[in-house]
Amino acid sequence: MRGLLVLTVAGGSVAHATLTPLMSVRGVTPDLPLIMVVLLALRRGPEFGCLAGFVTGLLQDAAGGGLIGVQALTKAIVGFGIGVAGERLRVSQPLVQVPGLVVLTILEGLARFALLQIFRFPAPFGELMIYVVLPQAVFNGFVGAAVVLSLSASQVLRERFAGLPS
Amino acid sequence: MKIQKLLLLVTLVGVCLLLLTLQTRGYGAAARDALTMVTAPVQTGLARASRATFGLWSTYLDWKNVRAENHRLREEVQQLRVRALRVDDTDVENQRLRRLLGLQEKLPLTTLSGEIIGREWGGWIRSLTVNRGRGDNIPRLSAVISPDGLIGRIVDVRPGASIVQVLTDPASTVGAVVLRTRTPGIVEGDPRGTLRFKFMARDGASIQSGDVLVTAGQGGLFPRGIPIGTVRTIDNRGSALFHFADLAPAVDYARVDEVLLMTGDTQRDLTAFFPAGG
Repeated sequence: MRGLLVLTVAGGSVAHATLTPLMSVRGVTPDLPLIMVVLLALRRGPEFGCLAGFVTGLLQDAAGGGLIGVQALTKAIVGFGIGVAGERLRVSQPLVQVPGLVVLTILEGLARFALLQIFRFPAPFGELMIYVVLPQAVFNGFVGAAVVLSLSASQVLRERFAGLPS
Repeated sequence: MKIQKLLLLVTLVGVCLLLLTLQTRGYGAAARDALTMVTAPVQTGLARASRATFGLWSTYLDWKNVRAENHRLREEVQQLRVRALRVDDTDVENQRLRRLLGLQEKLPLTTLSGEIIGREWGGWIRSLTVNRGRGDNIPRLSAVISPDGLIGRIVDVRPGASIVQVLTDPASTVGAVVLRTRTPGIVEGDPRGTLRFKFMARDGASIQSGDVLVTAGQGGLFPRGIPIGTVRTIDNRGSALFHFADLAPAVDYARVDEVLLMTGDTQRDLTAFFPAGG
């Protein structure tokens, strides 16, 4: 199980750079690793979320060709934060998770922007937010909703089959 | 436990900041290279896999499109074939009608065109029903012809239709002559649906296979010179008074669709107006 998780985290983040362009809608792509980190952190807690975010972000940075560490840092924080929130707040409902994912994407975008500013990589804030972060947040919301619903459905099916007499 | 969690976060954040700092100062190349060594092969594999998958998908889509197009084209071909058949049919009919009209215009006789609307093709009777009847003033025993030759005569005139006794009817007899030798005789219908020419042996000694027979014009029923058929075989009966010749009819009675009915004067020689005589 742990191996599978590692493979999911590592493979998923590398796959992001290769496969997400295929999902592009008008130049906007979803941040699949972020969705993965959020969902994993909600189920496995802040430590796992933090580690998953770090690894995912690091590999994403490497695969994407940007400054290595930017996404590792933001996603580690997001993973940790959402893991802690999951332990303290009632965030198991899809109606909370999906808008949460949209908000988290925006926050992660803001954090990334801040880091790039700190490390002297100038980027126009307004355009970045309008054309990249906000559309990606919406896209993440849709993809996240699909993933959450699929997971819920598979869980229901699993429980139903587990209850059947053998 | 809480401290451990925070420690992990702080450590990871620290590592990230260190990495970022090193990179901005020009020392991050080694770390980037090391990471790329891990990610590049995976990316290569994934890119190939995705290309293969999408290639397969696009091949499937192409196949599906080709299949749909094939289906559409087959239907189109069917429609075009039907249309071509109709056009061919119309073309053939057009040619037939043109020939008939040409003959009607050429003939120095009063004729009326008619369409075959029924056929009686049993062994007992061989007749055609033509869509001209009492209302068209068709006299009984009128000759019925086509551009190829004689078909028969009207034996019954009814309201709206007439019955044509075809030459192959067993009860049909027509006076005829061999065009080349002027040998006279009688063309009779045969129960097998063929024609035979009955002639006197003495007069017809030189009849050959391939000779054309035309109407004799005696008796006033049929004008002279309308082709009846061609001699196929001669049945030489030795010292008998009459010999017989088996004929190939000039007209395919089973397939004729339009005819001309001779309603007026029949005292003319029409040999020149038919292909066999011309």
